[in-house]
Amino acid sequence: MKLLASWLRELTDVRLPVADLASLLSMCGFEVASLDPVPEGPLAPRPPTRAAGDDANDAVIDFEITANRPDCLSVVGLAREAATACRVPLRLPWDEAGRPISSVRAVSAPTPTRVAADGLEVTIEDADLCPRYAAAVAEVTIGPSPEWLANRLTAAGVRPINNIVDVTNYVLLEMGHPMHAFDLERLAGRQLRARRARAGERLRTLDGEDRALEPDMLVIADGSVPQAVAGVMGGAHSEVWPGTRLIALESAYFKPASVRRTSKRLGLKTEASSRFERGTDINAPVVALERACALIEQIGAGRRVGAVIDVYPSPRGPIDVTLRRQRIAQLLGTTVADADVLAILTGLGFDVAEAADGWSVRVPTMRVDIVREADLIEEVARHHGYDRIPSHFPALRATSPRPDPRMARKTLLRHRLTSSGFSEAVSYTFVDEADAAPFVTGDRALVPLAYPLSEKFAVLRPSLLPGLLESVAHNRRREHRDVRLFEIGACFSPAGGEQHHVAFAWTGACVPEHWSGGLRLVDFFDAKGVVERIGEALDLPLVFTDLTNGYLVAGRAAAVSVGKTAVGVLGQLAPGQSEARGLPAGDEVYVAELDLDALDRLAPTADTRAETLPRFPSIVRDISIVVEEGLRSERLRATIRGVAPQTLIQIREFDRYKGQGIPEGRYSLSLRLTFRSPDRTLTDADVQETMERVMEALTREHQAVQR
Amino acid sequence: MPDAEEIERLRVEFQAALAAAATDQALRVVRDRFLGRKGGVIASLMKAVASASPADRPLLGMLANQFKNEIEGALDARRASLESGRPVAGGLDVTLPGRQVPLGHLHPLTHVRHQVEAIFSRMGYEILEGPEIEDDYHNFEALNMPPEHPARDMQDTFFLGQPVPQRGLGTPGTRVSTRPAPPDRPATLLRTHTSAMQIRYMEAHEPPVRIVAIGKVFRRDNPDLTHTPMFHQFEGLLVDERVTFADLKGTLTAFVREIFAPDIKVMFRPSFFPYTEPSAEMFIGCVFCGGTGCPVCKRTGWLEILGSGMVHPSVLEAVGYDAERYTGFAFGTGIERVAMLKYGVDDIRLFYENDLRFLEQFSF
Repeated sequence: MKLLASWLRELTDVRLPVADLASLLSMCGFEVASLDPVPEGPLAPRPPTRAAGDDANDAVIDFEITANRPDCLSVVGLAREAATACRVPLRLPWDEAGRPISSVRAVSAPTPTRVAADGLEVTIEDADLCPRYAAAVAEVTIGPSPEWLANRLTAAGVRPINNIVDVTNYVLLEMGHPMHAFDLERLAGRQLRARRARAGERLRTLDGEDRALEPDMLVIADGSVPQAVAGVMGGAHSEVWPGTRLIALESAYFKPASVRRTSKRLGLKTEASSRFERGTDINAPVVALERACALIEQIGAGRRVGAVIDVYPSPRGPIDVTLRRQRIAQLLGTTVADADVLAILTGLGFDVAEAADGWSVRVPTMRVDIVREADLIEEVARHHGYDRIPSHFPALRATSPRPDPRMARKTLLRHRLTSSGFSEAVSYTFVDEADAAPFVTGDRALVPLAYPLSEKFAVLRPSLLPGLLESVAHNRRREHRDVRLFEIGACFSPAGGEQHHVAFAWTGACVPEHWSGGLRLVDFFDAKGVVERIGEALDLPLVFTDLTNGYLVAGRAAAVSVGKTAVGVLGQLAPGQSEARGLPAGDEVYVAELDLDALDRLAPTADTRAETLPRFPSIVRDISIVVEEGLRSERLRATIRGVAPQTLIQIREFDRYKGQGIPEGRYSLSLRLTFRSPDRTLTDADVQETMERVMEALTREHQAVQR
Repeated sequence: MPDAEEIERLRVEFQAALAAAATDQALRVVRDRFLGRKGGVIASLMKAVASASPADRPLLGMLANQFKNEIEGALDARRASLESGRPVAGGLDVTLPGRQVPLGHLHPLTHVRHQVEAIFSRMGYEILEGPEIEDDYHNFEALNMPPEHPARDMQDTFFLGQPVPQRGLGTPGTRVSTRPAPPDRPATLLRTHTSAMQIRYMEAHEPPVRIVAIGKVFRRDNPDLTHTPMFHQFEGLLVDERVTFADLKGTLTAFVREIFAPDIKVMFRPSFFPYTEPSAEMFIGCVFCGGTGCPVCKRTGWLEILGSGMVHPSVLEAVGYDAERYTGFAFGTGIERVAMLKYGVDDIRLFYENDLRFLEQFSF
């Protein structure tokens, strides 16, 4: 809400420099977005008013008005706040009879839904969407507005058009009540009907757009066709033009939700719609009409003919809300003097009566935000001053529950991964569909957004990998050859909903370059080591098996599981994938992704039990065998375990060799077996006998040949 | 004839010579001068002692021997210290860089998040995460924003192309729920704020409630210097008997003093949120100019840091709490905002590019 400070000052006795006035209102909850000098041009001549303004020190202040305060989308509303804050009177503008404008002065009696007078007939066909419609007829001479009026509009960001349109806009800014002027002679049957649009009806609005109307939109029609989208914008046909002689002035109340829906549907937001959709004062229409007519007369643009028509079938009065003295203290943690409560509420336009343990407060209909006691307490607090409420620390009355172990696990993984050289990435939850599609496997699918910002953000990520790869590519383009990134976050599928994953991507060095030598690029087993470390952190034994999926290199990919439960994948990204993401050809990228929710369900919760340290020495035996290529190490271990006693405590592969001396299609593997007994020193004989059985089993089951 | 004084004079002389000897060579000269068999100071001294009177001889002999031992000890010590300073063969260029195991860096948002969690944990708050996809009821309706409420415009929403089941959400937090489980509702939107977790938690638990929900939220903003369509929030909620606005002020003041600076200035100003009444915005003295006014604080000296307020009675009623008996406060802010102010980051998009040159700056 942009306005000239002098306009605001005119309505109060607040004698503050502009900057202080702005900060006073900001402390009442009306944030100052900007404070600018009056735009270049001739100094505005002042309007004839009863108050002495201060033009020499004027400025344009732009206030941000929160959604709950449509009454302050007006000069009067803000002046009322300023006057209350300074505990000085508010001076309201006057109507035709010279009375201050105030909507509280009269609550009308119910009227029929159709009222005709002086050559205009007004009908409300849909009282739900249009509970009140007032109108008046005026004879006018169209011309420019006086400079003071035009300047006030310009400063507020409203373009002056002609004296009549300007008056409606002036009243909108002054009182916050939107109005519309029709060229009466263009209205078929000199009728105004508030009804829903009919199927197929269209309207060319003031901005020249031809708009399709829908049956749940409220329109103002004449005897035959719509002439305005109610509360949003008038139609071009009945627009006030230089030749207009008679106008019908509309001043109505429209249902906020309906205006909001219509404005959204049409993609048309106006000064009027933004006020109607937040809720205007249902008792303002007639007052606003009278104010507009007074202005039309004041600036010599014409005069009202005949009576004001007011169609208001179910009048609404103000509501009464009880405010308890003690509840103020209970909510704020401080007491406010009765006199202050009274001064604040009265200043803001409430009628306050003493009640048993506090007050009965009558809420003016302009205050659509006040419906219960807490709302009144906020009013008291705002004008009492938040800075005068003390600071206090709340008592802790119960122990807090134990922390969520799932979050603790994430923290643990973050630390494990950073200490493995990975930096943490945070990527967007929505990704490009084309980037996401390769990572959707099996019968899973993508969750699209209804109206994405752009193609780049079209679907919810099914995997953390598209985002990670984008970040890897970003870094590769910026001279980072070695990139290790991980991410922990939510992924989505239509059937599974939200699942938490941990994933990493690794390209470049495993052992970084050093002056002493030793650069080594990452390979599958480096990446596997990191996955194993994640398993260790969660105390889960991970099993790796061969995997073929669309985005990993076959033969360098593994499915990761715990027992029979699949928990993730690991492997080298298919070159097609990495090139599609803009990574340099030839870059090997290793990735892994694990389902954290599955790991959470499997992770043991019991405390670790410490084992007694061994008291007897161990015996180590090496064995080298030649076996068929393609035979998995895991199977050899299983065979060995199957025949060895419990004293075999470790099997470790320490050399793997193919080539000279080894027949084609076979490889040599050296294994180191460690034996130890918890209750005696093992002898060579014990172990020798076991080693013979091991070799025999390897030969029998895998045709292994000892080297 | 030598006497005790003469020995003392020789001792001073020896100490000066020893102190001046910085090389093996020089040390050998000192040794020869004092311990040389012929003409050495000690040799001459011993000779003189031998010819002293029988009455003086025992004492002088003792002093001379003592002096001799002293010289030998001092010379040995000196030689050892000269030796230890000599480099071994093949000495290293210690100025070359060391060999480091590569170490990754936590994201700056995680750093801030951990600090927020630590501060509120110590104040007795339970830290929660919650679903990023939500239903309209938890994100809006139960928070006093019925359909067509104008405040919904403050948080322009991303809707899902299809409803998605909320699976395995369970009870938020680790407390056992004592209330009937609310109906399952499929998710239809990306949550616009972490406030949705207030409802989920209160649905499951009776007061007192003391929680901080933390995580990603989504609003339809095109990326620019200060906006991204996704950001992180944390949201606190305290509901109990006799909770006041003064408690809100005390709690939030303690928080900002800990996360920014112990002497930071704070200010509370009225604002509007549909789910709090009264509502307040909290400001801190500008961390860039110290309150004198700069472009970042738009010359006001103040930076907006937290939205807050007393929980709206309609929200308490929506979850079946007695709004007369219980009161509470809620507060929330963007983690990016805190991180930008704390670390002086001037472009919010940096948080999502994952540029290692950026991430590696946060090495604590």
